[in-house]
Amino acid sequence: MQKIVSTGVKGGVGKSTFAILLAFKLSKQGKKVVLCDCDVECPNDHLILAKTLKEGKPIYQDYPVLDKEKCKKCGLCSETCKENAVFWVKEKYPFFIYDLCTGCGACWLVCPNKAISTKKEVVGNSYINKINDNFFLVTGVSKAGVSETGPIVRETKDRAIKFAQEKKADYLIVDTAPGTHCSVIQAILNSEKIYAVTEPTPLGSHDLGLILELAKLLNISAEIVLNKADVGNKKEIENIAKKFNTEISIEIPYSEELVNAYCQKKLERVVNLI
Amino acid sequence: MSKEVGESGEFNMKIVVASGKGGVGKSMLASSLALLSVDKKIVACDCDVDAPNLGLWLGETKQDSVEKISTSFKAKIDLDKCTRCGKCKDICRFFAIEKNENYHVNPFLCEGCGACELVCPEKAIKLTSIKNGELRVRNTKYGFPLVSAQLYPGEAGSGKIVEQLRKKAEKFDHFIMFLDAAAGIGCPVIASVRGCDYAVLITEPTPSGFSDLKRILEIVNHFNIPYGIVINKWNINPPLSKRIQKWSEDKFLGKLSYDKKVIDCIVNLKPVIFSDSKVANEIKEIYKKLNI
Repeated sequence: MQKIVSTGVKGGVGKSTFAILLAFKLSKQGKKVVLCDCDVECPNDHLILAKTLKEGKPIYQDYPVLDKEKCKKCGLCSETCKENAVFWVKEKYPFFIYDLCTGCGACWLVCPNKAISTKKEVVGNSYINKINDNFFLVTGVSKAGVSETGPIVRETKDRAIKFAQEKKADYLIVDTAPGTHCSVIQAILNSEKIYAVTEPTPLGSHDLGLILELAKLLNISAEIVLNKADVGNKKEIENIAKKFNTEISIEIPYSEELVNAYCQKKLERVVNLI
Repeated sequence: MSKEVGESGEFNMKIVVASGKGGVGKSMLASSLALLSVDKKIVACDCDVDAPNLGLWLGETKQDSVEKISTSFKAKIDLDKCTRCGKCKDICRFFAIEKNENYHVNPFLCEGCGACELVCPEKAIKLTSIKNGELRVRNTKYGFPLVSAQLYPGEAGSGKIVEQLRKKAEKFDHFIMFLDAAAGIGCPVIASVRGCDYAVLITEPTPSGFSDLKRILEIVNHFNIPYGIVINKWNINPPLSKRIQKWSEDKFLGKLSYDKKVIDCIVNLKPVIFSDSKVANEIKEIYKKLNI
């Protein structure tokens, strides 16, 4: 099974569109494809594919709970927490700010009085949808307000990999969030090929440089997908491609047909664009 | 929009532009709102520390000052002390400890929380502070400072970089702070939205745009921040635009047309608001409505 990633730092450049078009194209060639939507903060692949997410498998995070009888108000938990999620004033009980908590466990490990226990809470869900006999979608969704989404991506991707193995899939296509931060890195790690989707504008070239830098750091080969290739100026994109010793392997022209297909949730109509 | 006069007798208003979905026009709108406010004392913050692009929309490509910062740690295992008990691997919520022949920390996954250091019975793990990004300041040709930051690719801690960036911006004397948030609704976005007085939420009339608008709204409502909604590229899907407008009720601020001139603007690094595009006028209408 080949693991492919569609990513691109900048938002709205067509990461999901490309991932879905690629999945349709491969599935039409008779390959079995699992698409994994790892943009868990704003997952959209199911919307573009006109699917509803049902029967989610919950993803949990541990949160600290204070046992006031055991707590000696020493403040060590607050001092240890790198996220500033434990608020403490001298001679008072510490207070946990769940909005900031990543569930790392440092506070309950450091407590000398074992006054912090944990409770599990659902921070997200993963879902599986069948698109056609050769094309399945695995989606991760974070609960709004959860700040640490990397582990949600990890669990979603693990489920997608297992599912793809069960289905004897030929390809796992991972669609990432914009950016380069932890949840994007989680989505990219251990893949064999990155498609860096971008557009021919100064914004697109700036962000392309960042994703190619990340691909280099992670030692994964990357190729460029230039979306809206005929709108703007692609000279700078070509320069960056040269700098990183890669090439523009796919160009998608700006097309109203594509915009309409996207809005009407019928992207399979325009598979010939890639 | 109104705000109580602070103790110092001055207004200090924070307006964030956010969207959930990327590429729907946050930086374009944030740059325009900032430029329309140049007669007031303002500071602009590019809170998309993964991919800072606000400067480009303002036609600014240079920096006046760059300062490396450290908001993150990485764990390191001393293999001479390690007895391979595996407790660090079990505790790590970020799956950053991997086992081949020995245990080692995957630097791309380590969030520097310190749980492994605490759990290790041999004291074989130490955290070290690392430079994970840089803060940048540009005194724009329009007379206001632009504070941005870049998280180095492969590093963690974007939310905390946003916090540092906001602290830096606070040091500039201002009445209004404009914050351009990143895409998504996770830690860097929460760090950008928290503590703001007003949120301008921008979307596009696509199923994803609308869905992500509802996602970012959950964050904005969580912090009880007043907000208004702008629909960008409304004419690419008029029926859905209409639905979003209706759904927005009295929070609807206005809509912007899809206009190829906007692309010409960014290609030539010319602020949209100074172009003869239809969008420039539509933004001015929205600005009036905001009553800043």
